[in-house]
Amino acid sequence: MNSSKWEIGPIFRALMRNKVGAVLIAIQIAVTMTIVVNSIFIILERAELMKRDSGIDEANSFYLTTTGFATDFNAQSTTTEDLEAIRNTPGVLDAIQINAIPTSGSGWSMSFQTEAGEGLEDEGAAVYMIDENGLNTLDIELIAGENFTPSDIRWRAPGSPDWPETVIITKALSESLFPDENWQFALGKTIFISSNQPMIVKGIVDKIQAPWVGWSDLEHTVLVPEKTLFNSNRYFIRAEPGQRDAIMPEIEEMLASSNKGRIIRGMRTVEETRERSYRSDAAMIKILSTVMVILTIVTGLGIVGLASFSVNRRKKQIGTRRALGASQSAIVRYFMLENFLISTVGVVLGAGLTIGLNVLLVNMFSLPALDWYFVPAGMLVLWLVGQIAVFGPAKKAANIPPAMATRTV
Amino acid sequence: MLKMTDVKKVFRTELVETHALRDFNLQVNEGDFVAVTGPSGSGKTTFLNIAGLLETFEGGQYELDGQDVSNLNDKARSQLRNEKIGFIFQSFNLIPDLNLFDNVDVPLRYRGFNSAERKKRIEESLEMVGLANRMKHLPSQLSGGQQQRAAIARALAGQPRFLLADEPTGNLDTKMALSVLELLKTINDFGTTIVMVTHDQHLAEQAKRNIYVRDGKVSESGEVVSLENAVNA
Amino acid sequence: MFAYYLRLAFKSIKRNPILSALMITAIALGIGASMTTITVNYLMSANPIPHKSEQLFYVQLDSWSPHEPANEPNEPPDQITWTDATNLMQNKTAFRQTAMASSGGVVEPEGQDQKPFMASIRLAFSDFFPMFDVPFLYGSGWNAESDDKRELVAVISKATNDKVFGGGNSVGKTIRVVGENFRVIGVLDEWVLAPRFYDVTTGAFNETEEIFMPFYLKQDLELTNGGNTNCWKSPEGEGFQAFLQSECVNYQMWAELPTDADKAEFMDFLNSYVMEQKALGRFPRELNNRLSDVMEWMEIEEVVADDAQIMMWLSFMFLLVCLLNTIGLLLAKFTGKASEIGLRRAVGASRTDLFIQHLVETACIGIAGGLLGLGLAFLGLEGIKTLYGEFVQNLVGLDVTMVISALLLALVSSILAGMYPTWRACNIAPASQLKSQ
Repeated sequence: MNSSKWEIGPIFRALMRNKVGAVLIAIQIAVTMTIVVNSIFIILERAELMKRDSGIDEANSFYLTTTGFATDFNAQSTTTEDLEAIRNTPGVLDAIQINAIPTSGSGWSMSFQTEAGEGLEDEGAAVYMIDENGLNTLDIELIAGENFTPSDIRWRAPGSPDWPETVIITKALSESLFPDENWQFALGKTIFISSNQPMIVKGIVDKIQAPWVGWSDLEHTVLVPEKTLFNSNRYFIRAEPGQRDAIMPEIEEMLASSNKGRIIRGMRTVEETRERSYRSDAAMIKILSTVMVILTIVTGLGIVGLASFSVNRRKKQIGTRRALGASQSAIVRYFMLENFLISTVGVVLGAGLTIGLNVLLVNMFSLPALDWYFVPAGMLVLWLVGQIAVFGPAKKAANIPPAMATRTV
Repeated sequence: MLKMTDVKKVFRTELVETHALRDFNLQVNEGDFVAVTGPSGSGKTTFLNIAGLLETFEGGQYELDGQDVSNLNDKARSQLRNEKIGFIFQSFNLIPDLNLFDNVDVPLRYRGFNSAERKKRIEESLEMVGLANRMKHLPSQLSGGQQQRAAIARALAGQPRFLLADEPTGNLDTKMALSVLELLKTINDFGTTIVMVTHDQHLAEQAKRNIYVRDGKVSESGEVVSLENAVNA
Repeated sequence: MFAYYLRLAFKSIKRNPILSALMITAIALGIGASMTTITVNYLMSANPIPHKSEQLFYVQLDSWSPHEPANEPNEPPDQITWTDATNLMQNKTAFRQTAMASSGGVVEPEGQDQKPFMASIRLAFSDFFPMFDVPFLYGSGWNAESDDKRELVAVISKATNDKVFGGGNSVGKTIRVVGENFRVIGVLDEWVLAPRFYDVTTGAFNETEEIFMPFYLKQDLELTNGGNTNCWKSPEGEGFQAFLQSECVNYQMWAELPTDADKAEFMDFLNSYVMEQKALGRFPRELNNRLSDVMEWMEIEEVVADDAQIMMWLSFMFLLVCLLNTIGLLLAKFTGKASEIGLRRAVGASRTDLFIQHLVETACIGIAGGLLGLGLAFLGLEGIKTLYGEFVQNLVGLDVTMVISALLLALVSSILAGMYPTWRACNIAPASQLKSQ
């Protein structure tokens, strides 16, 4: 390839004679790149969040709340009877009473520390109250120690300030409580809930998320052996694979008719709960993707439009070039190269703007900082968009007959 | 040598078929300076376009420098134009966004010369047409005569064997026209074959040989000017 | 003359249909995207009680732990304790004031065919209703006496009234809530607040509650805690009453303070109250009480979602791209018309004539883009409704202001976009384009 074919100098000098059009395209490309790169970054970040696993059997589980209102409502007997009935329903794998649902957005949090006393360093953790069927129902794996036994389980009255003697914690919490040790270290140790109540770590589970998906310590979670005696109590039910949708109405009907002194409400699958919790992230992903695609098309069409016009305006010139010996591919190359030069200015400017916007987003909305490789990738994409957009008009230009040169317009 | 034998060119639209050239026969020898005249619509420009490989033709044969160019593809034709033919147009066709240097540079780029070679040729050819000191000027900053001289410099820079001129003085006043003609004569004296289409009899008279085209055919040829044409002019 | 320009504009637009369509679409997309996000932001940041938002103050007391602030860097908790709520309500020093709590309970309609249902409950003082301009369909709020006597009276929402009483005037009737018989004292009219400013601690765009009742009933009926409960130390002792007396925050408080003097006086009152409590061994932190008016409080609670703001800024950039696009295309188009412009100049059109002619053309494109953009904004808002679900219902309506703003934005931005190309076109010399090229 001979370098004289790459008319960078003349193209650049000709462009400088028609700065405005070129500058407009360059700025368009720059702003488009800014939006596209930052959008992709936000999209990937959100997608990453949404991918996180709650640690429980989301696909087959659902939950509901039972609220007693009758004056003779007995929470203990109702819970015992309900769980017995639910567990014996065909299609149910297991069921428990629980105080909160992972990914649901509401739950209990308590502080834990390794030494008793006020004002000491502590770690917040979500609390799930479960019984000995909890691990099986939630489908979480015990990686050290033991599960709760039926005798560990106690009944919690409303407003009760104290806690059971044993606790199962997640590996993540173990690592946070004992940062200098390996995760098994916590097993058998005594930790303190709300400053000074001791609890012995009876087991360590692999993973279960706290209810608040936006929380930074999402895997700081403890399981305590308790059932609640509140007016409103929640059941978490894990169905046999594929049975969930069939047994949901069955269970609801069964519970509603078994005890008229309470209402059954808020029955929902864990999948739906997750969907709701991440809805704004999913929406953001969809909106940004749409914006990105439309924007790229607009910019692309803008380039097509301007290039077509410039081809029309330069018909005679193109004919002359052809007469002077330019082959069709030389004409295509001319327009591609011209666009490449404009795009280059655009993407260089765009790189600056992209980083600028990211810095703004970081400062104003505490978004994470952009990874460096997004910038060159974005530049490459916008270069390509420009080249693809200009190819049509360039082809059209190449088809202008050389005889155009002798035509008097 | 440029030789056309029974060349035909038909323009078709949906409704009309126009025979621009029919059985066109012409031979232009090395070193000749031929003026082609004829009424408008006679096929002068079509002839020039075909001669300059700007257009294809339907029938007959065309040999340029001993090479049959009837069936060449676009790339080969472009290359031939670039290497062997120089063009001068009525409206100069300088590229308005480029200065003279870059304008003369255009065909040399396609020729594939390196930058030193290009620079040398551009400077020489602009020198020859007397515009060496205007290299950085844009076409719009020059007079019509200067623009046409610049166009001639562009045509000559690649040292073509043939120079095809389409009404080269059509947009110039008499004085400028004469100076351009003198320039063409000089170029011819150096050995470049020139074919010039014009409707200006006085100009045609200055050529070594005159050809009269009518209805797509060479109807007369010789150094004598017909009475009819003199009247037309 | 204007009609002539208009005709010329239409002709010109029709002459390059693809180019014109491209420009109109570009403007429409930019306007559509911007209006969608502006609407969402506008509604999120709307002042829900404009005529008195500067007189209503949210009360914050720093009752938090000595070891760390409730929120970094040194923010007091966003709610107060039962103890403080009730103590502050004993001395009614403000023009109006109310402590509040959210709760929930089962409503048992009388008819056999109607099932019991869970209703949201707001516990408040009698001042709640006049303070927040609560609209009544029937009856009214309760009075201060009912507060103190802990009467079983309730104000119910229109929806609850429709559900339980079939929509008639139910004032004086009995409604059974949390196992107790309440006397209906008022029925609200449709009450949509966006944001629901009086309590944004669990999300700014929740609906107003279904049942309202006197605050102290929380204690008597041991009503459950709604919203967020945060404690920096555990309750001392067992049971519901011990919990109420704890340092756990779950209550909100507002004061209506018409003048700056009132505000200063109330602040003094709060400070001296906290000093008294310090003497009793509470409030271990330094004095750090706050009074924020409605809009300040919305700001502190970050009612406008980050995502909505990010999207708005991105959509402005989107609009910018679309406008740059339009400028480029107009420039190309008007350059293409150079010979026509030269001719018009030659036959006597002044520069002003041409300027107006092209501005009219640009404005036509702008208005067309604006109208189409408005349509796109409607679609965009529908899209947002689908994506975000029911909780944005109140945030995605276009009102007249927004429709007019959209058209204005389109017109102004397209005219701005057309300015430079028009100026360039008008500066073509009369003669330059008449010579053959």
